Amino acid sequence: MEDASWPSHLSPIIEEFKDCFDSMERYELLFEYAKKHPSPLPLDEWNEENQVLGCQSRAHVKCSLDENGFFLLRAGADAQIVQGLMSITAMAVNGMLPIEVARLTPKYVEEMGLKSSLTPSRANGFLNMFNRVISEAEVLSEG
Amino acid sequence: MTLDINAIRADFPILSRILPNGKQLVYFDNAATSQKPQCVIDEMTRYYENYNSNAHRANHTLADEATTALENARKEIALFFGTKPENLIYTSGATEAINLVSYGWARYNLKEGDVIVLTEMEHHADIVPWQELSKEKGIEVRYVPIDNETYTLDMDAFEVAVEDASLVCVTHTSNVLGIRNPIEQIIQMSKNSGARVLLDCAQGAPHEKISFSDLGADFIAISAHKMAGPTGIGCLLVSSERIDEMGPFMTGGSMIRKVTTDGSTFQKGHAMFETGTPRIAEAIGWGAAVEWLSQFNMKDIHDHIHKIASWTGEEMKKIPGIKIYGDPTNKNSSGAVSFLHETIQSQDLAFLLDQGGFAVRTGHHCAQPLMDALGVPSTNRASFWIYNTQEEVESFIEHLTDVCKRFS
Repeated sequence: MEDASWPSHLSPIIEEFKDCFDSMERYELLFEYAKKHPSPLPLDEWNEENQVLGCQSRAHVKCSLDENGFFLLRAGADAQIVQGLMSITAMAVNGMLPIEVARLTPKYVEEMGLKSSLTPSRANGFLNMFNRVISEAEVLSEG
Repeated sequence: MTLDINAIRADFPILSRILPNGKQLVYFDNAATSQKPQCVIDEMTRYYENYNSNAHRANHTLADEATTALENARKEIALFFGTKPENLIYTSGATEAINLVSYGWARYNLKEGDVIVLTEMEHHADIVPWQELSKEKGIEVRYVPIDNETYTLDMDAFEVAVEDASLVCVTHTSNVLGIRNPIEQIIQMSKNSGARVLLDCAQGAPHEKISFSDLGADFIAISAHKMAGPTGIGCLLVSSERIDEMGPFMTGGSMIRKVTTDGSTFQKGHAMFETGTPRIAEAIGWGAAVEWLSQFNMKDIHDHIHKIASWTGEEMKKIPGIKIYGDPTNKNSSGAVSFLHETIQSQDLAFLLDQGGFAVRTGHHCAQPLMDALGVPSTNRASFWIYNTQEEVESFIEHLTDVCKRFS
């Protein structure tokens, strides 16, 4: 990572969001990214074990190592904003070492102009999912 | 009489707030909590600045002033709800008031095999205490269904359910659907069956004049914060007959008559249920809220809210993909308009409305059995109150239409 906060290959995406005219345009772009998830978790794999608890939307996260020992984030959410953020997060962390993922902070979301997704009142959405990814990365880096 | 909405809005400093994204706040989450007029904020500040002291304990000047203010608020609030101060027990809100009926009355008076009637419309606060009591004492809980076409209670089913019931617990107005139930009929039918009645008026009290003596219910639960008062305070209104049947709920200081190492005896009336230091500032704030509300006719408030809710509901129906849950055009409906878009998930929709400055609620609204009955996991809800304007709902419809076009 060029910065402790996010990997360098995330920077063009961040720039894309920064170029948006307003928050509505940013959310339109985020909805587009929700459709581009590189490793979605299909509905039939959503279960209690991988559910991130919250009352407003359904969200599921499954972290593992690929055949080369690199991190693989699979995620699914019924809310497109959460799904979009998880899609970008998967683009960021897939292929990284688990120990690198464990050091990730959600600063890139703030940089993209979507800070409101990180407030505690939205904790049942993206922030809870992000925290789950980090704690699973910590476990995988120890193993 | 027509309300002067601009003058009313001037009493609420928060309504002029500009949000961090530069948008003017448009507050449509009133069924969750209302905003507070300056006089409520000032009264609470005045208490802390001038006579903060514990009530009902000491004889110094500040303690006398605090006690007097606490009890004057009780008188004012009781008067507002058409009852006497001795029939008003301060609680933390409607939830605690309902729990007080469960722990302080039902546990002392109901037995195995007795029946409690609830409805599918109830807030969790009026479901979970009864489920717990049912588990503990072997009491049967029955749920009256709603009609999914009219979103009203199935009164034929109620008539059957109430036949051998001991207690009927029903919401005055649904926090999701905005539907006002036929509570007068429900009370009468319950009385005819010999059942006691608890009304959850958390949503009803901000929208119409609640008169405890006229309604004739045994218990009424109310929250202050939905009717211009502060959070953390509410009350249980109890008839004199029922209060005499109640036993202690929470125990400790203030609620006792005498404590020895052998045991304790308790105060009578509301004092038995108000243990510990009272919510003094909150009660004073609620008293100020009630005084503020008393300058208006509650019927005028209802008419104003109904007018904009009804208009909003009708306009929302014209937006492709939007479905309304409830009937805002029903003349008895309160200002809650629940809705969903067929493809935009409710949490996403709330985020996108927030981008325009519109504060709406999203989720199951602590009414999961109702969500099950409606066949949805959640809804969005715009809920209006006295200070909301036609201009606000027009800009809301404009923004919602734009969101639906861009994101569906």
